[in-house]
Amino acid sequence: MDGTTDQMRGKTMESTTLTPEKDDSSGIAGAIDRILDKGLVINADITVDVAGVELLGIKIRAALASFETAAKYGLEFPSGTNLETAAWKEAMIEKEECPQCGKRVEREELLNFACPWCGWESAKAKKRKKVGVRVEVQ
Amino acid sequence: MVILRPEETGLKQLLERILNKGVTIDTSVRIDLSSLDLLGAKAHIILASFKTAEKIGLDFPEGTNLNTPAWQNLTTNQPCPVCGMESRSKELKEKGCPWCGWNYRPDER
Repeated sequence: MDGTTDQMRGKTMESTTLTPEKDDSSGIAGAIDRILDKGLVINADITVDVAGVELLGIKIRAALASFETAAKYGLEFPSGTNLETAAWKEAMIEKEECPQCGKRVEREELLNFACPWCGWESAKAKKRKKVGVRVEVQ
Repeated sequence: MVILRPEETGLKQLLERILNKGVTIDTSVRIDLSSLDLLGAKAHIILASFKTAEKIGLDFPEGTNLNTPAWQNLTTNQPCPVCGMESRSKELKEKGCPWCGWNYRPDER
């Protein structure tokens, strides 16, 4: 028992307090996530001819993306999709993944202030804070 | 000091790299039977991420709205060489990365 508590004491505050971290998403889930986020274009032209006569021609123009990415890039949705719901409006807001916790946060907020989930601050936000402090001192 | 982007290996990075570069598959098959052209097939296939597709001018499916702000961001934004987060090219060059603070001319900041 004592050994474990000593160990706990020995650890710094940093390691015992909860620090949100992005999970290691280098596996297949991370890869799929990334592809759907970036969007994938598949274009193909296929022709088949028999005895010199063109018999069949296939032209494929396909785009593969997550709902959010599709909405952002203005891809056409199947007829009957209601694009007035709150979720679609939210999808149009530019978002970015927090580098620390991986949550998707509104880009402007993350860049200019901090991540509302884990408190991570960008260089721009830190710089801005510094300038703010200096102004207060003057 | 050399700073490299973390986790440059793995499936995720591999796929991202492949789609960033774009993949082209060009094939043609010809089947002859006693010097008679019997069957022929040609296929031109291209696979790329949206960004690359836009850059090299690929066709998008009919009905795609190419005037959304996201399309403009594709051409004006650039990833930071250190953290990989995207920001305006001009800002990145002149003021440094707003995300991680990287700047290739730190004395002028």
